[in-house]
Amino acid sequence: MVERCPRAFDETLITGYLDGELTQATEQRVRIHLEDCANCAALLDELRTLREATMSTEFSKPDDTQWDERPRGRVSWLVRSTGWVLAILWLVVVGGYALWEFWQTPTNPVERLLVVGGLSAFALLFVSVVLDRIKAARTDPYREVEK
Amino acid sequence: MTGTHPMIGAAAAQPPDEARIVVLAQRGEASACEELARTCRRQAYLFALQLTGNPDDALDIAQDAMLRFFRSLGRFDASRPVRPWLLRIVRNLVRDRARRRRVRRTESLEPAGDVLRFEPRDARPDPEALAARRQLQALVWRCLQELPNHYREVLVLRDYQDLPYNEIAVALKIPRGTVMSRLHRARCRLQEVVRQRMESGEEVADG
Repeated sequence: MVERCPRAFDETLITGYLDGELTQATEQRVRIHLEDCANCAALLDELRTLREATMSTEFSKPDDTQWDERPRGRVSWLVRSTGWVLAILWLVVVGGYALWEFWQTPTNPVERLLVVGGLSAFALLFVSVVLDRIKAARTDPYREVEK
Repeated sequence: MTGTHPMIGAAAAQPPDEARIVVLAQRGEASACEELARTCRRQAYLFALQLTGNPDDALDIAQDAMLRFFRSLGRFDASRPVRPWLLRIVRNLVRDRARRRRVRRTESLEPAGDVLRFEPRDARPDPEALAARRQLQALVWRCLQELPNHYREVLVLRDYQDLPYNEIAVALKIPRGTVMSRLHRARCRLQEVVRQRMESGEEVADG
């Protein structure tokens, strides 16, 4: 096992150096450090060996005829989408009716508070997730397309 | 992060040929669609295979990914590279499938034995060096299956798919600096697992 750098050098940069992803100035800094630090040089060698093994690995691929034999999946997609639409409709109608009934029925204030509090908590969680998704989608270069 | 590239978070430039094919495919030209499908389904299959380790699952996922890909191709900005988008679709499908099975991926999907292909690239390979390389490739492939999802994803995208950091950042929706730090931790973890396997003297079967 390679020991950690005694000068607490940012070892993450060694990965960036190995991949050629650093700026010229940072690359120069890493190169100078590697000349002096045996630990980091050993780490670089280990990572390089590993990367050469992965990058030279070849995988079996299906031939082109296999693609046409696979089911296209449109039917299952259609069935699933229809199922979702029906489930949402059911939830809205039945849930709305249940809520309406609950509101109209005279109940204990504590029970009412528990139910309303629980539903409000779920609603808030839902809204927070939706807001996070919207925020993330705004910075996504592929927001216009399916992911 | 001092070592980050100036193009933080930006996708790499679209190769002119790819952009042309995408535009033609968006106009509905059959030959362009066929060419795009041929290139993309191979990439989708390989990435799914590298994430799941299972050829049958990979083929199903790649098929689904191609359906999604072509369904929204019309809305795609052709000036952007296709690969990060395609690989993100595949990654999401792999995650969905693992979630549906409600078990850890490594428990449900043992890496299949005939996934790796060993063909000498050199015209006259040294048999001993070739055997050692094959053994290391197979060992690394098996060890990769033991890593957590987020490490395996970034390693596969960089070392098997050969994506630059910018495209990995787009595919995984993480900042470019995070790509480098996560990749470093993933490689160190993989190195650790490989070393443990080697020290335990475990027999490594090809593939």
